[in-house]
Amino acid sequence: MTQPHSTDTQWPRWEVFKQDAPNRPHQAVGSVHAGDARHALVTARNVFVRRPAAVSLWCVLETDLLTATPEELSRTPTLLDTPGEGGLYHVGLKRTNKRSMTFVDLSGTVHAAGPGDALRQASTLHPDVLAWMVFPDAAAVRTDEDPGTVESWFAPAKDKTYKQQQYYGVIGRHVGELKRAGLMPGRAAGTDDTGTGDTDMGDTGSRTPRTSEDHA
Amino acid sequence: MTTALTLTAAHTQALIRRLTALADDEILIAHRGGEWTGHAPILEEDIALANIAQDELGHAGLYLGLRAELDGSDPDRLAFFRTADEYTNTRLTELPRGDWAFTMIRQFLYDTFEALWLEAATRSTYAPLAAIAAKAVREEKFHVQHTALWAERLALGTPESERRTRAALNDLWPYAAQLFQPVDGEEALVAAGVLPDLSAVRARWTDLVTAHLSGTCGLTLPGTPADPAPRSVHTGHLAPLLAEMQSVARAHPDAELW
Repeated sequence: MTQPHSTDTQWPRWEVFKQDAPNRPHQAVGSVHAGDARHALVTARNVFVRRPAAVSLWCVLETDLLTATPEELSRTPTLLDTPGEGGLYHVGLKRTNKRSMTFVDLSGTVHAAGPGDALRQASTLHPDVLAWMVFPDAAAVRTDEDPGTVESWFAPAKDKTYKQQQYYGVIGRHVGELKRAGLMPGRAAGTDDTGTGDTDMGDTGSRTPRTSEDHA
Repeated sequence: MTTALTLTAAHTQALIRRLTALADDEILIAHRGGEWTGHAPILEEDIALANIAQDELGHAGLYLGLRAELDGSDPDRLAFFRTADEYTNTRLTELPRGDWAFTMIRQFLYDTFEALWLEAATRSTYAPLAAIAAKAVREEKFHVQHTALWAERLALGTPESERRTRAALNDLWPYAAQLFQPVDGEEALVAAGVLPDLSAVRARWTDLVTAHLSGTCGLTLPGTPADPAPRSVHTGHLAPLLAEMQSVARAHPDAELW
């Protein structure tokens, strides 16, 4: 469980959960530091909803989150005894390390005696994941669902054009052009895992085979 | 079905003046907001203020786009090649960025004005203005929430934040009156339903900012100047700002691609 460091001079950290569409799960997309719940939501909107579409934001104070990887759990089984309030808990799962969009998806709720019990249920229900995250439903602060909030917080992002960085004009020749012409300096085979032209956010894990000049 | 509005030549000139005044305020406050990039108190607020500044600059683009439809002017030429004498922004927006309290109080006073003006402008009889107002007012309502939140936390925060917030309000309040100064010929456009009535906007603005700053935040509002200056009156801060903002465009006047 993440605890604030005593030397941390920042405001408390809040995990931000963003929902992209009404039928999609809330996903943990990152965090903000904020002085209070309302400030966390407003800041999360600016940091995480300028361009990508969203319909709802939740923020949860880091001290209300219990997270563990399978390795952490086997090393520290007492995590399952973490005490706290009983009630409804959200269960988040991190399923993949591939690509850049490796969010924690909220995958359901459980009724638990406390955070440790919620983690126990999460790890039993979903044994084959990279990490679990649980928090009490009561700990989530949420954006309002009234039309005014949707209009001012979320609607403007839908109109904003979003340009992948490789489409911006560059001075000289684009790196992709140089690659195709076989003019890029060679790299050791197997170290190239971050192609600059990689925009496919799919999670199938398959990669387009590299052309020979990449490793020339 | 209403008939299409026909603007007289005098109406058109007054509308161009109002659109330019709105755009000039947006450009200036966007520049002052942009000056915080890399310098805000925390990373999250750095991003937030840059977002707000970018929205304001986007609104300037909308206003100057409407002007371009009326007189064929080039928004980039207007932004980057006019002198301080030709700019028609309020002094409120050109004052140096100050501290965080100054920045948030200014942005709050300005955002509240703009949100109310835009809300009224969505009912404009000039359809192109009603259309951009409907688009921009959504963002502006969010800006108000962000800056109102900061005004409250600074005013009710530590003794130092309260002191800075009071000082900022005392400095800024007299300048805010200039936002409500009409441009030449504006009354005729108000009568034709093209533009919002500034005195009505002002009444709503005064109610809202008084409720928040005086009521919620516990601040004392200073007196309002009886006769605010027209928009042609600037401080000495405008020219140096424009010199910096326009330096790249002026150094490369024939650049075709940015």
